[in-house]
Order: sequence, then C-alpha cells, then structure tokens
Amino acid sequence: MKKFYYIFAAVAVIGIGVVGFRVSSSMFGSAVSAPITLDFADDAELIALAQGITKGDDAAPVTLVEFGDYQCPGCGSFALSVKPQIEATLVASGQVKFVFYDFPLISIHPNAFLAARAARCAADEGKFWEYHEVLFRNQSRWATASMPASAFEDYSAEVGVNEGSFTACLNSDEYADVVTANMELGTRMGVSGTPTIFINANGQTRRLNNYDFQSLNDAVQTMLAPGDR
Amino acid sequence: MTGISNDPAVDDVGQGRGAPHGNRMVVAVLALVGFFVALFLWAHNAGLTGPIQCGIGDCATVQSSEYAYIGPVPVSTIGVVGYAVLVALALLGLQPAHRDSRLVGTLLLAGSGGGVLFSAWLTYLEAFVIHAWCQYCVISAILITLIFFASLPEVGRVRGGAR
Repeated sequence: MKKFYYIFAAVAVIGIGVVGFRVSSSMFGSAVSAPITLDFADDAELIALAQGITKGDDAAPVTLVEFGDYQCPGCGSFALSVKPQIEATLVASGQVKFVFYDFPLISIHPNAFLAARAARCAADEGKFWEYHEVLFRNQSRWATASMPASAFEDYSAEVGVNEGSFTACLNSDEYADVVTANMELGTRMGVSGTPTIFINANGQTRRLNNYDFQSLNDAVQTMLAPGDR
Repeated sequence: MTGISNDPAVDDVGQGRGAPHGNRMVVAVLALVGFFVALFLWAHNAGLTGPIQCGIGDCATVQSSEYAYIGPVPVSTIGVVGYAVLVALALLGLQPAHRDSRLVGTLLLAGSGGGVLFSAWLTYLEAFVIHAWCQYCVISAILITLIFFASLPEVGRVRGGAR
C-alpha cells in the first residue's frame, strides 16, 4: 500500500507542478492589456501615431471609418453581418474605402484592449481582417475569460499566423501606443460608444446614426451624388 | 510482511477483509494523471495558460472549435469532474471499510464506461468533423480506456461481492 501512495503522491506533485508552471508563467506574462500614457504635443502628432486598418481602394471617393471595440456585441453584429455586405458591394465596386480604428471601451470591456493589440499583431503577417472576423465570431468565448491571451493565440493559429511571432508580439507592449492613440483620436472626434461610423467624402466628414447596410448605402450614394461633389 | 493471519477476513497488513485491490490502485493513479491532463485543458479554456503546444496534431484548432464546449461548459470541465470522481471512488475503494463494496465497484464500472463512450464520441469528432487532433485529448482517450479495462475486475465483485 505504501508504494501505491508514494506513486500517487509523485503523480500529484508532478501534475500540480506542470499545470501550476503553465498557469503562473502565463499569468505573470508581460502582455500590455491597458492603454499607456502618451503625451501628444498637437493633433498632428496624434494623427501620425494613430493607425486605421484599411480595406479597399485608396483612391475610393468615399471613406467609411469605424471606431470599434472587439468586446462590443454591436460591433460584432456589424462586423459579421453589415461589413461583409459593404465589402461585397461598395468596396468591391471601388466606391468605398473602409477603415477600422480601435476604440476599446476599457471601463466595461477589460479584454478589449488586448484583443485590439492581438489583431494588430495578426496584421504584422497580413491577417488583420481574418483575425478581426475570428475575434468577433468567438466573442462570447474570450470576452469573459480572466486571461484571454491563450484564446487569442489559438485564433492566430486558426488564421495561419506564425504562432511564435504572434505570441512574442502579444506578450509585449507592441501596438499599445497605436491602440491608445486610436482611442485618443476617437475621443477627440467625439466617439463615446461603439460602433461609431463616420463617412468622409469631398473633404467632409459626418457621423452616421444608423449602421444597417441600407442606411450606410444610402449615405454613400448621397455622398456620391453629383450635387454633393 | 506484517500481521500474518490465518483468518481470511484479515489481510496481510491487518487492515480488514480482503487484500487491497490492485486494479483500484491502477485506476487511482491513471485517473489522477487524467485529472491533470483535463485540468491543464480547463486552465487553457479559462484563459489561464499560454498557447497549447502540440508535438503532433493541432490542438489550437480543436480547442477553438465549437465542439470544445457543450453549451457554455468546456468539455475539459467535464473531464476534470469525471476524473476527480474516479480518483475519489478508487481511493475510497482502497479503504478497508469499502474494499468489497459493490457500490464502489458499480460506480467505477459505470463511470469509466461512460467516460469511454464520451471519449469515443470526442475522438469521432476530431477524426471526422474537426479534422484535427489534440494530443491531450488523445492521451485522455487512452487513459480512460485503460481505466475502463482496469475496472473490469469489478464485474466479478459486483456479481459476487458480499456487500
């Protein structure tokens, strides 16, 4: 019997050691998951650092700009049902360029900042939009996780991003400045909730109140109408 | 050897009727290994670990698939609870008062048998639906199968046991 208890105890110690090591090394990782302190001397400095991710022809006459939060259900609905229609019609026809800026609502969505950084890390390998969609598709899974980094790493493999470089990027402060700058840009533009959509054409920018495809399409066509040129 | 007795109701260490059942020791150790494998996957599902690195297969695909959850419950949670119950049952069955317990034997058989069926379903999903293998899931499937075989001697106890 003694021998059995020795073996049983050895298995228990090894098991606790292995699982404990994996958990502790992840929990004490250095991934930046909150905005950092940045001082912008002027708007030009902010605009230089803030980076939207663009889809579509740079020369498109109309630009739709979304300020979005990966943990926001409304943004998820927009990304999975409205944006595909925008891409298939307005972007594909060259009428619209779509730009996404991060605006994580950190006070209510604690994982959103890290998610925004994760998407930027995926963008390093040209997989931003694939990752963007996967994040929204799996939103309910990672949104409530106490440490969502492992889920983000799984998704990187799912979209074909090199897991090693993605993990290194995520477990650092990379893009924390860009996401923070995007948040500041949104705040200065009057964004307080997500998704917030702006339409820009002919040097004019206005905020849209309805985000269904028909409303967006109407707004785009109005901007493209000769009277508005 | 201590406590040698001619009384068949007293074992060689003087702990009561019958010798400790070796198969229950095997079940306890294997179920404890399975518990930690499931606990590791549970910690991953809960976001408490880094990425799962597989020597073979594609754990990331399996763990991020819809089949990694049953409703809101991660499959790994079922594994943690199941293996914990098997460990507890096996340890209980090693205690002198429960060595010949038909209830413990029945529960070990039912638990390990149910685990094999559940594991077979998960293996089917990996092979034919997800088309990806997670080595930890495969290890768990092997463990629960071994636990089931180690539990088979309980059949005799359940049929002819005294209690």
